[in-house]
Amino acid sequence: MRLTVNGTEHEVDVEPDMPLLWVLRDELNITGPKYGCGIAQCGACTVHVDGFAVRSCQLAIGDLQGDVTTIEGLGTPDNLHAVQEAWIEQQVAQCGYCQSGQIMQAADLLAANPTPSDEDIDAVMGGNLCRCGTYPRIRAAVHAAATKLQGA
Amino acid sequence: MKYRLLAATIVIAASPLLAEVDLTPPESASEAEGLEAWARIYEVASHPRCSNCHTGESDHPMWSGPSYGQARPHGMNIRAGESRMGVEYIPCQACHTTMSEDWENANAMPHTAPRVPMFWQLAPVEADWFGRSSIEICEQLRDPELNGGRDTMALAEHLDHDLILHWAWNPGGNREPAPYSLQEHVDDILIWGVAGMPCPES
Repeated sequence: MRLTVNGTEHEVDVEPDMPLLWVLRDELNITGPKYGCGIAQCGACTVHVDGFAVRSCQLAIGDLQGDVTTIEGLGTPDNLHAVQEAWIEQQVAQCGYCQSGQIMQAADLLAANPTPSDEDIDAVMGGNLCRCGTYPRIRAAVHAAATKLQGA
Repeated sequence: MKYRLLAATIVIAASPLLAEVDLTPPESASEAEGLEAWARIYEVASHPRCSNCHTGESDHPMWSGPSYGQARPHGMNIRAGESRMGVEYIPCQACHTTMSEDWENANAMPHTAPRVPMFWQLAPVEADWFGRSSIEICEQLRDPELNGGRDTMALAEHLDHDLILHWAWNPGGNREPAPYSLQEHVDDILIWGVAGMPCPES
């Protein structure tokens, strides 16, 4: 089974009903996407498929159609995505476990809606849980990233 | 609000699916038979497998029924937006994935959101069923202004074509299926239609 992750093509020998998250973490050792709940309730496993945020614990590898982008492919330390820059500037992360999912969802939000209101942010980011309660900083960082992208 | 259209990712799977549905109406049906058929139709329409996504003006899907305990809005603050597909917020498809070719077993995968070979979505605002009475749903379903301009045959054909409706009888997991069967439900729609779409008076 072939899949493209962060621009690199991979071949894996797995059952078609293995969730994409398992393929990324256990087969390809791409560990940015996190296992939080495994039942689509926390958002820690969020990745992009053809630019759209999906919960990788829910997508069977046999059903994958499109290129996968994980946090490792969103930006690089030398060339951060605007959302990553804003995350650092706002010092969003506390323990950090949920943050790759948060950032992937936020990047998708801003691609869809360049100037989100607080209500928009809450509606879209509400599926990404943060046990440390960094929500006020997440919201501030999304606004800051929106401003950066508007100026880009 | 600006948002991307998901047209490129909406895939109506071409794979042939599930049972063939017989759409032959009865030659005649009395009003009493029509009302009996309607009572069974209401059991289906008000069942959580159907009504949880028929939330009317609200764009919050519901979680209710034996496998959910107390009725409550869908978790994760999910909103379907005006698109009824979540396009403005989180598309239903972020979790209710669609691409499987093995539809007989598509809902057997553990710990997954339900899925069908179509884009998951809420019913239109007009089809407001959650918590509604038999009379309210009956009058909505027989009114072409509120049912998508459908006559009886079009309602039956809708049940045949719209695969998200088939899921109600094959929901997987520990979800309770809708009562009767798809074919029995279509038969009841046809009996009710031939009888003149009677609605209960109380």
